[in-house]
Amino acid sequence: MYDLSSVLDFDALTEVRPGSSILVSGPAMTGKEQFVYDVLADGATDGDGAVVVTTSDKAADVVEQFHDRVPGLEGSQLGVVDCRGEGGADPELIDGVSVHQVSSPGDLTGIGIGITKALEGLHNSGRERGRLALISLSTMLTYTDKKTVFKFCHVLSSRLDAAGYIGVFTIDSSAHDQQTIQVIKQAFDGLIEIREADGGGREARVLGLANEPTDWQRI
Amino acid sequence: MSTSDPPVVLIVEDEPDVAETYKLWLQGEYEVRMAQNGDEGLELLDGTVDVVLLDRMMPGLSGDEVLTEIRERELGCRVAMVTAVEPDFDILEMGFDAYLSKPIRSKQLHETVTNLLERSAYDSMLQQYYALVEKQATLEATKSSAELAESEQYEALTEEIAEMKDGLSDTLGGIEDDDDFIATLRGLGTDEDE
Repeated sequence: MYDLSSVLDFDALTEVRPGSSILVSGPAMTGKEQFVYDVLADGATDGDGAVVVTTSDKAADVVEQFHDRVPGLEGSQLGVVDCRGEGGADPELIDGVSVHQVSSPGDLTGIGIGITKALEGLHNSGRERGRLALISLSTMLTYTDKKTVFKFCHVLSSRLDAAGYIGVFTIDSSAHDQQTIQVIKQAFDGLIEIREADGGGREARVLGLANEPTDWQRI
Repeated sequence: MSTSDPPVVLIVEDEPDVAETYKLWLQGEYEVRMAQNGDEGLELLDGTVDVVLLDRMMPGLSGDEVLTEIRERELGCRVAMVTAVEPDFDILEMGFDAYLSKPIRSKQLHETVTNLLERSAYDSMLQQYYALVEKQATLEATKSSAELAESEQYEALTEEIAEMKDGLSDTLGGIEDDDDFIATLRGLGTDEDE
């Protein structure tokens, strides 16, 4: 089981089943990315493997962030799949972390190959558990349609399920119509919604991971 | 692929004895078509072909060139490359769905064709699954939760989605294998019905 409650304090997140994929949805600037990085860093501190699929952050920045947050991070613990299409050597080692380049956020086969290599690297270093973050589906949706993104998420979730990993995927809810969000979320086992709270601050709720959706709770 | 007709396998192989052997092994279960070289193979290729067994080293058009043409035409078929030696490069990155190294045994050939057909089945199930999910999302967007609770159509749809989801996790062992994973992703961009 994976315990995410130290990152986001919900009972529904104390025992997340291996193989679960969770969509993290919220408008821009509500800290979705920070949250998924926290989930991965928290796991890495306990020795879990981490895979980051990024469409916006530079691979070097991702690696630096992990080194800052996770004392004693081993290079073999992290894999980065950089989909910004900026080119560069593939694979490349940045501070001991292997980085795989993908030509664009719309290159689903390339992303799959990058993820496969990252998982293989973690497996070879003896990591049995791990967490994958994809940031963000919103960028992918600008490169390809919602049908393709839905299928991609379903297939990737199945792959993570077979590996016993958990996945956290971000989507900017203010960038898409309600129907798109509704469709995409069906490819996931659970949903964490984040929004701005009345009177400032943020609140979140968890759906699909426990029997009932939780109430909104300040975070 | 229709349900009544057997799946179609196209063998593109320049050595007649070898091609005949494959045909002998496969013809009980599949409709087998044969081409002696790449050009002939491309002529015989159409939407009815499910699996292509493609020899890599042939006089004239090479297996790689034939593959490129197949992908460009966006035919929904799956392609297994047949090589004399085990390739030392990443076969998946080249765009093949599988490879077989000679000499091929009957069991191995059957297993590969079965796996490739299962991938195609997975693709079309995923396609149907998406159609159902989209329909459900439309209903959810247009009806109140009280209306949904009373809608028989919504109930039936929800049930159908759950069944389809189970079916998908039973197919291909739920994408346990890296080759299945990559090949399935590659198929996403080239839907036959688009």
